[in-house]
Parts: sequence; structure tokens; C-alpha cells
Amino acid sequence: MAMALTVAPTRMELIKLRQRIALAQKGHDLLKDKMDALIMELFDALRRIQDSRAKALEQLSKAYSALSECMAVLGTLETMQAAREAKKDVQLNISTRNIMGIQVPLVEFRDIERNALARGYSLHTTSSLLDNAAREFERALKLLVGLAELEAVAFALARELEKTKRRVNALEYILIPRLKETLKFIMMRLDEIERENFTRLKRIKAIIEERR
Amino acid sequence: MDRLIKFELGRLNIHLPKRRISLRAALSSPQPQILTKDGGVHALKREELEFLSKILSESDWDKLQLPIFISLEPKLGKGAARIMGDVETKVVGQILKKEKIGSELIIYRPEVAVLRRKLPTTTQYFFVW
Amino acid sequence: MSFKVAAIGDRDTVAGFALAGVAYTYIHSKKEETLAKLNGFLNSREIGLILLTHRVAEELGFELRQMIQKKKLLPMMLRIPDKTGYAPKTDELRDLIRRTVGAEIIVKREGE
Repeated sequence: MAMALTVAPTRMELIKLRQRIALAQKGHDLLKDKMDALIMELFDALRRIQDSRAKALEQLSKAYSALSECMAVLGTLETMQAAREAKKDVQLNISTRNIMGIQVPLVEFRDIERNALARGYSLHTTSSLLDNAAREFERALKLLVGLAELEAVAFALARELEKTKRRVNALEYILIPRLKETLKFIMMRLDEIERENFTRLKRIKAIIEERR
Repeated sequence: MDRLIKFELGRLNIHLPKRRISLRAALSSPQPQILTKDGGVHALKREELEFLSKILSESDWDKLQLPIFISLEPKLGKGAARIMGDVETKVVGQILKKEKIGSELIIYRPEVAVLRRKLPTTTQYFFVW
Repeated sequence: MSFKVAAIGDRDTVAGFALAGVAYTYIHSKKEETLAKLNGFLNSREIGLILLTHRVAEELGFELRQMIQKKKLLPMMLRIPDKTGYAPKTDELRDLIRRTVGAEIIVKREGE
């Protein structure tokens, strides 16, 4: 239920009010367009996440298997030692990109997959099992990085969508109806005043006629 | 109340670039990006730049300004958008397999989706009111 | 800009990612200490991604959720299953979508 605003019932106000309604309407339409675009982008991100998540989790599971095999054969201590010695030089190149005003991360991969020598654990414990485990985890890491980026985008889009939706609703259900109510009120009052003036004029005319 | 609406409308396009960059300039930069009006950075993906360089003749590389604007104008109708610019419409027309009329191209929601999927960083939404 | 990766979880998870070259690792034992470590990672300008196992995430509970709310764009954070494959029933992303779009989105796979 909209409450009318307190505004003087003049013709000037009527014109201003019509302009305000037009502006609010325009704002509403544009924000709706933005909402639709956000929903489209979100849908796309979700579709990609579903795919990416499935692949990443499958690879991660493979990696864990390779690791437990390595620990079983080589021994936990040896494996942990290699883990400590491995070169920890994985780097990600992250910048930002912009979707309709929201900043989201953009990741360009530096080479995550390395060869045995580059990995750095001491040669005497080098075993193919260890290399295998390392390789599977490198692959998993690459996929997980991609997934993390997609999720960051989806969360940012969803949050912006929530904000935009609230604004669209505020315009559609509160502001614009209120403005329209006020418009109706002013038009009614102006009408009344016209009629009052008309009746008054008639009475004055009648009095003048009588005086003659 | 009006101030709020005007403020919101002003904010709609604040993510747009201060200045666009040509395809050639972007290709030759080690870190192709543009600065946005609200002080942020928008990076252009190399993958997309290379794709664009392949579908355009070299003479057009200086003419294509990035990012390509997808103009959302409510008066066009629900979900419709406009692409403007000679080379811009050429590129979009090729991707969407659509004929352009002069140097303008109107595209519809499913086509916008395809375009955004293909060029997520080299296209940007632009609100017109 | 160049960033490094961090991983927090049980011993095996951490070992695996260390082998893959992850720079910052932490084996979880006590909630308070892990929270402190995580906070350090979140505020580090060097780290671009933090991997955290679901099990540890659950143990960190409410404080973790608060940290996620306040989090800036970077570092990105991703929760992953550990070797047991455990993942909670609730999916934050799905919940958020349901709230905003107002409906469950069931996205069809390509080609269906």
C-alpha cells in the first residue's frame, strides 16, 4: 500500500512529478536489464563450475591414491621428507577483470606442472611412485585453481544480483507506486479546485446578473 | 529520492574504461589491460586477443577498440543489445554469423550469451538511458 | 601480479600439495592455532589461493564463516575434500543462488 507524498497540489508539481516518475521508470528498466544480464552471467558460471568441480575432484582423488601408494611402498617418513625438500615455487599470475562493475580475479597459469628434476627432492629417494604422486597433485592443483577462480566469480555475481534485485523491488513496489499515488492525488485536487472555481464563477455571475 | 536514482544510474557505467585500447596495442603489451573509471583494473585475456587477431585482417588491428561495448538500452526491448562501430560489428557479425546493417548490429539475448562466453574480457556491458 | 599458494589440512593433504610445489602449508591440530594461521594467510599479500579441507573448515566453524564474509577479493579460498573424500551436505554456493534467484538451478550438462 503506497502512501502519497506531501506535495502542494499545483500544476508545477504535477509536471515535476511526471518527470520523477519517468526517471524512476527508466532507472527501474535499466536495473532490470542489469539483473537479467547478471543472471545470464551467473548461469554460465554455474554451468562451468559444475564441470570444473567434477574434473577437479576426480583428479584430486587420483592424487590422494597415488600419494597413499607412495607412502605404503616408500614409507611415510620418506614421503614426508621428500615433501619437505620439494621446491615450493608454484606461482600464479592473478589480475582482476570487471563484469558490470564487480571486480573478479583473473588467473593466468604459470606452469604448474614440472619435471622430476625441477621438483627438487633429493635424488636418492627419487622413485617413480614419488614422481607420480607429485605429478598427480600438480595436475589437481591446476584444476583446483581454475575452480577457485570460477567460484569467486559466481559468488561475486550472486552478491551483486542480490543487491540489484533489492533495488529493482524497491523501485517497483515502493517508490513508483508512491509517486503514482501522489500523482493521482494532485490530479484529483487540481480537478476539485477547478470545479470550485467554476462554481464560484457561476455564483458571482449570478449575483452580478441579479444586481443588474 | 531522485538523487538516489540519479546516483544509481550514474554508477551503472562507472566500471567502463577511461580509455579503450586497440587490438594491436593490446597484442603487443605484455600485460594487456585497461583502467576503469572507478579506479580498477580490467585485464584482457590473451586467448581472446589471439582469437580476434585471427578473425580480423591485420589492417583492422588498429581500428578495433577494446573492450567491445554491448549496449543495453531498454528502448530496444527486453534482452536486446546494440553493437556499434565498423570493425566492432564486423567482428561480432562474424562470431554470431549475422549480417550487419551499416555500422550497427542489434543482437538478442541468446546471442549476447554466446558473445559473452566467447569474449568475456574483451566485451563489456554499457548501459544507455 | 605473482602469487603463491597455501594449503591447510591433515598431514597427507599437506604432503601432497607440498610435493606439488605449494609454498605455504600448515597441518591442522588445534582450532585456535589454525584460525590464527589462516588469518595470517588471509592477510598475506603474497598468497593468491588458500586450499582448506572440508573437515578442518567444519571444525573452524563460525569464526571461519566470519572470516569469509569479511574477506577481500584476494586471496581466493577453496574448500576441498581430504583423502577420505569427505564433503559436507550444504553447498554455500547453491544456498546463495537459491536465495537470490529464488529457485533451485539445475543446470543441464552440455548436450543434454
